[in-house]
Amino acid sequence: MRTRSVIGRRGLAVDGRGIVRSLLIAGLMLATTLPSARAQDGSGAVSFMFFGDPAELAAYQGLVSAFEAEHPAIDIELIHIPSLIDYQARLGADLAAGSQADVVLINYRRYAPLAARGVLEPLAPYLRSSRVISDVDFYSQAIDPFRWRGQLMCLPQNISSLVVYYNKDLFDAAGLDHPAEDWTWDEFLAAAQALTLDRDGDGITDQYGLGTDASLYRVAPFIWQNGGELVVTEANGTPLRLALDSRAARDAIEWFVALQTEHGVVPDALAEQAESSESRFIAGRTAMFLNSRRGVPTYRRIDRFDWDVAPLPRGEQAAGILHTDAYCMAAAAEDKDAAWTFIEFANSPQGQSIVARSGRTVPSLMEVAQSTAFLDPAAKPASSSVFLDTIPLLRAVPVTAAWVEVEELAGDELERAFYGVAPVDEVIEAMIVRTLPFFAEEGG
Amino acid sequence: MRRFSLSWRAGLWALLLPYLLGTILLVALPALMSAGLAFTSYDALSPPVFVGFANFRLLLADPVVTTAFANSLFFVALAVPLRILGALALAMLLHRPRRGIGGYRAAVYVPTVIPDIAYALIWLWIFNPLFGPVNLVLSALGLPLPGWLAEEGTAKFPFVVMSLFQIGEGFVVLLAALRGLPREYFDAGAVDGAGRWTSFRYLTLPLLLPWLVLLTFRDVILSFQYTFTPSLVMTGGGPYYATMFLPLLIYEEAFDRFRFGPGSALMLLLFVLSAAIIGGIYLLFRRRGFLADA
Repeated sequence: MRTRSVIGRRGLAVDGRGIVRSLLIAGLMLATTLPSARAQDGSGAVSFMFFGDPAELAAYQGLVSAFEAEHPAIDIELIHIPSLIDYQARLGADLAAGSQADVVLINYRRYAPLAARGVLEPLAPYLRSSRVISDVDFYSQAIDPFRWRGQLMCLPQNISSLVVYYNKDLFDAAGLDHPAEDWTWDEFLAAAQALTLDRDGDGITDQYGLGTDASLYRVAPFIWQNGGELVVTEANGTPLRLALDSRAARDAIEWFVALQTEHGVVPDALAEQAESSESRFIAGRTAMFLNSRRGVPTYRRIDRFDWDVAPLPRGEQAAGILHTDAYCMAAAAEDKDAAWTFIEFANSPQGQSIVARSGRTVPSLMEVAQSTAFLDPAAKPASSSVFLDTIPLLRAVPVTAAWVEVEELAGDELERAFYGVAPVDEVIEAMIVRTLPFFAEEGG
Repeated sequence: MRRFSLSWRAGLWALLLPYLLGTILLVALPALMSAGLAFTSYDALSPPVFVGFANFRLLLADPVVTTAFANSLFFVALAVPLRILGALALAMLLHRPRRGIGGYRAAVYVPTVIPDIAYALIWLWIFNPLFGPVNLVLSALGLPLPGWLAEEGTAKFPFVVMSLFQIGEGFVVLLAALRGLPREYFDAGAVDGAGRWTSFRYLTLPLLLPWLVLLTFRDVILSFQYTFTPSLVMTGGGPYYATMFLPLLIYEEAFDRFRFGPGSALMLLLFVLSAAIIGGIYLLFRRRGFLADA
């Protein structure tokens, strides 16, 4: 394992000693490029870029250490980017410069633009020849979204649903039963209302029942639960436009928006700006928070209250939304065999177990997901099986080259309704109209 | 020993050369290449394809682009005069030597050297609508509490306010300019009975005008770029594009969406807009003859 070195320019003054020093530094710089030279020989140097918090970094460091112990000839360079926004920018800049990492971890909503531009190496041939894993070992819900025009482009490391993280102590203090497996929207709202408190009667809410982002990705499962669809599609499945103007979708959006505007169980724009809902949940001042498995490593550090997870409440029907990230190989990777060896290890039962123990992932390998590496009775959340129980209900958003832009624009509009700035119908129309060009791009 | 000497002009060129080379290689050439990309469709992965003015037509039809232009112009129109006035006022206040003056001058300059991200985070806290000191003071005074960065109507003002504390460079320039003003003009004014205001209005201000115009040129360019880090860190361009300024939009177009063509076109438009504003200011003052000696 190694990290990139940055050598400063001090000491490059051109006097006698400076020249010697400069030559030494040049030698060092040459030495730092040697792994690349090795890579061209096919003898193994792989850069791996991912994003995540320090707990996730520790998980991947553990993975890489185990890999290097088993494959001493291959040197992995870990490139850790703390935030998703920076990660996207870094990926864009690296691609522009032709210096992208050999292996990158990408969400299924974000890999399509790269696949469409041919910068990812299809992984199906590697997987077919693998003696360690095969595609039937993975949950189909996780692996299928990574097939781009029939080609498997990336291998998923995880499969998470959106769940309700809840503060058990606050539920107990309010005399509420913990959420049932089949709780409904009404029960969910009633709990959120009972848990929203102005303790000192000063007109300012001290504790919120619920925290959530106001995004299309968060509202989507509720639309599906209500019998609606996200997109109108052609017979061949090509999405044509957002389908949020159907009665079912509109009602679901209106219900979601009313959680804030009418019931006040979610922080308003001011309160959210003052402190994020996730921060409030961690501080014990929000009773429920909607998130995927991603939050677990951070929440495991909470020691002031007990918490657990529950499935999303159900509407007309049960439905969940897929969260999955995958290891993708750059088509320009210098040592593809070494890069595949790393991807194969990371997605082997041994590799997935290492990352699963950190709490970060719901393993995409069925064998590991059912093992104690994930279902560890000593580790929170106690109800980790919720993540597995809801897998059959998972649905994916459309995988298109411009989907992320559709989500961004729709999210900008949805926020206006969620924070009471614009009516739901106006926002739905704006979401449909503003995102149309991105569907046209896809079709064209 | 033979002394090696250069003519005055050659010496100036020798001093200028490293910066000239750096500017050509690191600024002018990339800017020219980027200007060329403005007329292409380019995603950094496939070769650029010439599309003529299509990027410009698409951009100008996009309401987010129009909003970003309006936001940037709003910021420049408000921040530049206030920043110049602030630097001038502080330079007037602190240009005479007195006890502890170095400390005051340093205090004015220090905010300018705070790293951008740290500076943005400080102001994110200062304008926190519930826990920030600004609203706590307003609350103690019984005044209305704006939502600042959380509300479309007020979100741009914190950007202007925070820029007013990073005026150290203009302050130093004006301090130097004030100390270089000919003493005899002011002595003559005093003999003629000019008071402080008259002296400022009819002597200091006209004498400083070339400096002020120069600082305005610089500040217009700087202010168009200034909003990038604060908007990226503090608001992400929201709420609902209220703080979507041109530099952030350019960055998002190019590096978030891989649309380097429209990103470059926006950069070119920003360049033209800056040049037009600077040209306008130049013509305004040139016609009035204020810049005859500048």
